[in-house]
Parts: sequence; structure tokens; C-alpha cells
Amino acid sequence: MTATDAPAAPQAPKLRPANGAKRQYTFLLIVIAALFFVPYILPDSAQPVAVRTLIFAIMAVGWNLMSGFGGMFSFGHAVFFGVGAYTDAYLLTAFGVSPWLSMIIGAVLAAGVGLTIAYFCLRYKLAGSYFALATFAFAQMFYLLSQNLGFLNKTDGINVPLLPEESWAMLQFDQDSKFYFWIPLVILGLAMAVTIYFAHSRAGQFAQAIRDDATAAESLGIKVMKYRLITVAMSCAITAVAGAYYSQYYLFVGPEQAFGIHVSTDAIIPAVIGGIGTIWGPLIGAAVVGPLSELIAHLLRNPPEFLEFLQGTSGLDVAVYAALLIVIVIFLPKGIYGTIRERMRK
Amino acid sequence: MKRKALSAAVLAASLVGLSACSSDSAESGSDSVETVTIGSVHPLSGSLAGVGGLMNDGAKMAVEDINAAGGIESLGGAQLELLDGDSQGEAQVGQSEAQRLISGGAVALVGTYQSDVTQNVASVAERSKVPFVIDVAVDDKILEQGYKNTFRIQPDASSMGQAGAQALVAMGEETGEPIDSAAYIHIEGAFGDSVFAAFKEEAEKQGITITKEITYSGSNFSDATTQVSEALAGNPDIIAVTGYYPDNLLVAKAVGSMANDTKAVFGIASGAFDDTSFPAAAGDAGTEVLSANYHYSATSDRAADIRARFEEKYGKPMETASMLSYQAVEVIAEGLEESGSDDPEELRDAIAGLSLEDPLLAFDGPIQFGEDGQNENATVIVMQVLDGKVEQVFPQQFATAELVFPAGSGN
Repeated sequence: MTATDAPAAPQAPKLRPANGAKRQYTFLLIVIAALFFVPYILPDSAQPVAVRTLIFAIMAVGWNLMSGFGGMFSFGHAVFFGVGAYTDAYLLTAFGVSPWLSMIIGAVLAAGVGLTIAYFCLRYKLAGSYFALATFAFAQMFYLLSQNLGFLNKTDGINVPLLPEESWAMLQFDQDSKFYFWIPLVILGLAMAVTIYFAHSRAGQFAQAIRDDATAAESLGIKVMKYRLITVAMSCAITAVAGAYYSQYYLFVGPEQAFGIHVSTDAIIPAVIGGIGTIWGPLIGAAVVGPLSELIAHLLRNPPEFLEFLQGTSGLDVAVYAALLIVIVIFLPKGIYGTIRERMRK
Repeated sequence: MKRKALSAAVLAASLVGLSACSSDSAESGSDSVETVTIGSVHPLSGSLAGVGGLMNDGAKMAVEDINAAGGIESLGGAQLELLDGDSQGEAQVGQSEAQRLISGGAVALVGTYQSDVTQNVASVAERSKVPFVIDVAVDDKILEQGYKNTFRIQPDASSMGQAGAQALVAMGEETGEPIDSAAYIHIEGAFGDSVFAAFKEEAEKQGITITKEITYSGSNFSDATTQVSEALAGNPDIIAVTGYYPDNLLVAKAVGSMANDTKAVFGIASGAFDDTSFPAAAGDAGTEVLSANYHYSATSDRAADIRARFEEKYGKPMETASMLSYQAVEVIAEGLEESGSDDPEELRDAIAGLSLEDPLLAFDGPIQFGEDGQNENATVIVMQVLDGKVEQVFPQQFATAELVFPAGSGN
């Protein structure tokens, strides 16, 4: 990556990325088109898992923009997820606003919150683990706020009322409706398209240059703060959309579901497992992590003969999950996709 | 080019990952009516796995007992089958487990211990038109959604606060030791807030002054001395307490370690004071602590028999939560018996119109559900730690020991 020469000679390097982008868009289209048929293969009972996996994937794509491409490791993406989720639930229950509109409002709000947080963190030169800790602290702050704000129902959380009939405007369908899968799939596709566009755009190239060496980038005249903040805003907006969809699918959001610490890790882990800073990493990571606990639970319910002794145990998925993380960190430090790509290039 | 091939491989892998669950095809229980499936959702892993496991065992034992007694007679002796789901203590997992159980053939659900998980499972039940009997989950709000398929056996938070205040007044009258003032220590959040609000309203109506309301955060709570000394400062007749096990244990210990003239520590919907392990854990500080809570009926022979067999089978005492799971399965079985059908909608109607005599809990009467699905006869009774055991002391009809009031705690 010699992105640092981009401002000096914009003509020459532009050709290659544009070409690469085209290939990636095509591939994205194929992936999304293929995933479109998943609800026809899956039994009804597995659909919630598939939807949960898609929500993970969208969050991870959002997180990956800021932390993978932007190099600002966030340990508090729950903030943006939660802002999206609460915006949707609140506007819907208090004013009857359509969730589609709330998604956009939530995205803008989350971007605003993200910009504020990132601005102050960067302004005071927090980097690396200090930046991560600061974002974590903000997530805790939002958690406490949501627990104590009356208009958000404090610890009770907000219920999205069930409608008697399906409604596109209110984003509510029958429980087994395939739209519950297709809608986040399209959102995921759009988020991925944004990532591809960004990775190849001037701003994205600058952001990656800043990630690799902020001082060098600045000495070449790149406005470090500006491009970092652009990355953050996009990342937060995408994560907020995942949050809004969460509220619509689960019809309930409370402090724990919106701002709990596990929400932040849910955004990080797929990206880490798939490959931080790669375009396809979060998607692959989510496909591995999302169904994992369900697969293990299924295995434990009806174990093959040699695992008979495990029948009826619970909690094993957590152990497998932990083991998998350790194995990946040791043997595939760049994630599944990142490592494979590196090997193929050699 | 290589990258393309790789990407294709990755796509294939991710598809496999997603569709691997498809082998999970539902073996729906539509093979005549030989077995009827009930789904149970509890936290079987995670920090609440202990109580979740007990509750699951309680439900399982109810199924075994009913099957052993001949199954559902009106369905030709159909056997019950319990499918269990693990909520992991998380709302979204609880929701997907509920959906899995229903598509696996469950005609009714029991669960879930936590209010937020219950909230989500209730919405699944409503959308799938499958009856859901809540064993434990206290939040008033769950039944305020207007759902038609959700029923709750235990009293809700606000009725426990109200009943707690009434019991306090009645006890004062009976013993000739009137109670004029109370300080209230409770956990932050929906549970503590709603119990307190209801207590306050009723207590003030009855002429009890609340000298002080003190709240604490459930997380990071490692010492109750500050809260208790604040409560004692107003010299109240009673210290009322609402919270979960670990924090209420700390409150009891702190009161025990401070000299004071209060007449009693009085738990309302406290997760600790009537737990079997509380007297041993609290030691002297637990002596004569009072607790107003829903409770299994210690005067019922049927409950005693179930508890004895449970302890023999699982090696652990059957706590009230577990008894409620047992009771919830009985409610469903009775609904099946009445409706004579395993159709979830007919079952729902039967449960709504049910009147189940001889409840396993110390309630005011048979289990029957109001319009909103709340058991109308659910109530609290007062217990007290006497000679290292939790005894039922009030009202008289449920008493297993004599009430000691004022209690000698803290001296």
C-alpha cells in the first residue's frame, strides 16, 4: 500500500483501484444474490439465527470502517448501536414515526455522537488502548443514561407495539416472514458497497494512509482530523442502522440490549475473526460467529454417538467460542480472510 | 484471478455456515395426539444458570409426574414432552429459542425468570398465538401490552409492594406493636422502583411515614454500611428492603452489625430473605428477619411431597422459583385437560378460563387469570428466619411457626 503518493500523483494509482472496485462490486452483487435464497433453504426455526447473523454482520462492517480502515480501535460501538435502537423505538412509540425514517434519523444522530466522541478523543491525542478505553467509557455512560432517563422508560426499556397486520411503512411482518431476512440483507449489501466505495475513494485512501502513519500523512498535507472524522461518521451511521433494525425485529429494546458491553464485543468479534481492515472479513466472521452457539447447542441436543456423554450440557458454546478465538488469534492473526489473502499473494 | 477463486470458496464456506442449521428440520409433533410438547425457556448458562437449571428441573419433574399419573386424560392419555431452551440470560437469545421451540412443535411455553427476556418471549408467543405461562418475572409492564397469550402465576411488582404494606399494618395490629415509620432500601431499576412506589402509596394511606428512601446500584455493590446507616439515621420502626440475593444479604449483615432500635428488617419481594440458604449465609444477622414474598406453600402436603422428591432427585432444595415452574406446567396440563385439544389457540382459551384448585404456592385461592393474564389470587405471605430456618408466620392460615415481633435483630 503506497497510498501516501495519492495526492502527489492522483492519475496513475487511480486506475488500479477503480478496476479493483468494479470486481468487488460484482462479487458483492453475487454474494448478496446468493444469500437472497437462504430463507428458502433454512427451516423456520433457524431464521432468527440467520437474522441475528445479519445484524452482527452489519455492525461488524460498521466497526471495521472506523477501526479497520481508520485504525481507531473502538471498544464502545454499543453507543451507536444503542442510539439507533432507541431512536427507532422512541420515535415510533412516542410519535408514530416510520422506522424507515427513524433509521436515517438514528444514523445521523449516531454520527453526531460519534463525531463528538472521536473529536474529543483525537483532540486530546488519545491513541491505541487509551482511545479504546475512552470509547468504552462512553458506552458505559450511555448505558447509565439510558437506565436513568425517564423518557426512555429507564430500566424498563421500550416495547415496540405489535401491529394487527403486516405493514411495510411500519416495518412489521409476520414472525416467519422472509422480509425479516431480506431487509437486513439489503442493508448489509449497501453497507458493504459503502465500504468498497470508501476503500477506493480519495478520502478512504487518505484514511488508510493516516492509519498507517499519521505523521507522514500529515506532512504530505492530508488533513488528519478531517479524514478520521469522516471515517468515524460513516462507521457510526452504519452501526446505528443495525440498531434500528434490531428494535424492529425484536420489538423490544432496553439498556442492556442497546448499550450493554456484549453489544460492543458483538461488533468487534466478527471483524476480528474474519479479518480487520479487509472488505470481506466482517462478512465471513459473522457467518462463522453468528450461527456458532446455535450449531453447538444443536449438536449437544442430538449428539453423535462418540459425543453422547455431552448430551444435555449447556454453556459449552462459550468454551468452544473462546477456544476458537484463541486458535484464530494464534494461527490466523489477520483473521480468516486476511490470512488466506496474504498466503495467496505470496 | 486467484483472489476470485478464493472469494468463491469463502462464499461457499459462509453459505455452508449459514445453512448448516438447516439440518435442524423441525420434527413437528403432529403425529396424532400421543405426545404434547411444551417448551421451557430459562437461563441454563451464564450467571443465572443456577436458578435457571433449578427451574428447568422443576418443569421437567412436573412433566414426569403428570405422565406417570396417566398423562392428559381428555387426550386419551397423551404424554407430555418438555423441550428446553437456553436463554443464556439474554433477551434476543430467549426470543430465538422461543421461536425454535414453537417451530419444533411446542404448543405452550413456560419461562423465563428475567423480565426483559420474558418481554421478548411474550411477543413471540403473541405473534405465534401460542400460550405462554410466566413462572417467574415480576415487572408489571409485561402484561400491560394487551397481549392475549401471556399468563402470569406469581404476583406482579406493584401488588407485592402494596401487599407488603398491608401485611405490615396487619402484623402491627395483631401484635399490639403499631408501626408508624419505615425507611426503605431498594435496588435501582424497574423492579425496586415499582415495588417501592406501590409500597409507599399503600403505606401512606395506612398512616405509615416513609422516613427515607435509599437506593443502590445492583452492580458493584460490595458493602451496605453506608445505605444502612443512612436508613437508621431517621430512627424508623422498620427497615424495608427490596432487591436480589447478594445485595440483600449484605443489607441484612450491615443491619446486624449496627446497634439500632428498629423493630424488624422487613424484606418485600426480597430475593434473599426467604431463600433456603439465607439463614446459614447471614448467621446471626439473619435471625428473625421478616420477608413478604410469594412462596411455595409450606402447609401444603402436596408441595412438601414434591419438594422432598425434588431434593432426592436433583440433590438441591427446591426453591420457590422452581416450584413456580412446576406449577406453570400444571397450569398448561390442566388447560390441555379442559380443552381436550392440543391446538394452541384452544389451549389458550382453556387456560384463560381456568380455575386451578390446590395451588402449590401460598395464594389466596385457586389460580385463575384476569383479563390481562395476571393470576387474580396471587399474593404474598410473610416469612421469618427462626432457629436457622425460614418459617411462614403470617397470615395465620399459612403459619408454620409463631411470629416474633418486634424482632430481636441487631441487638
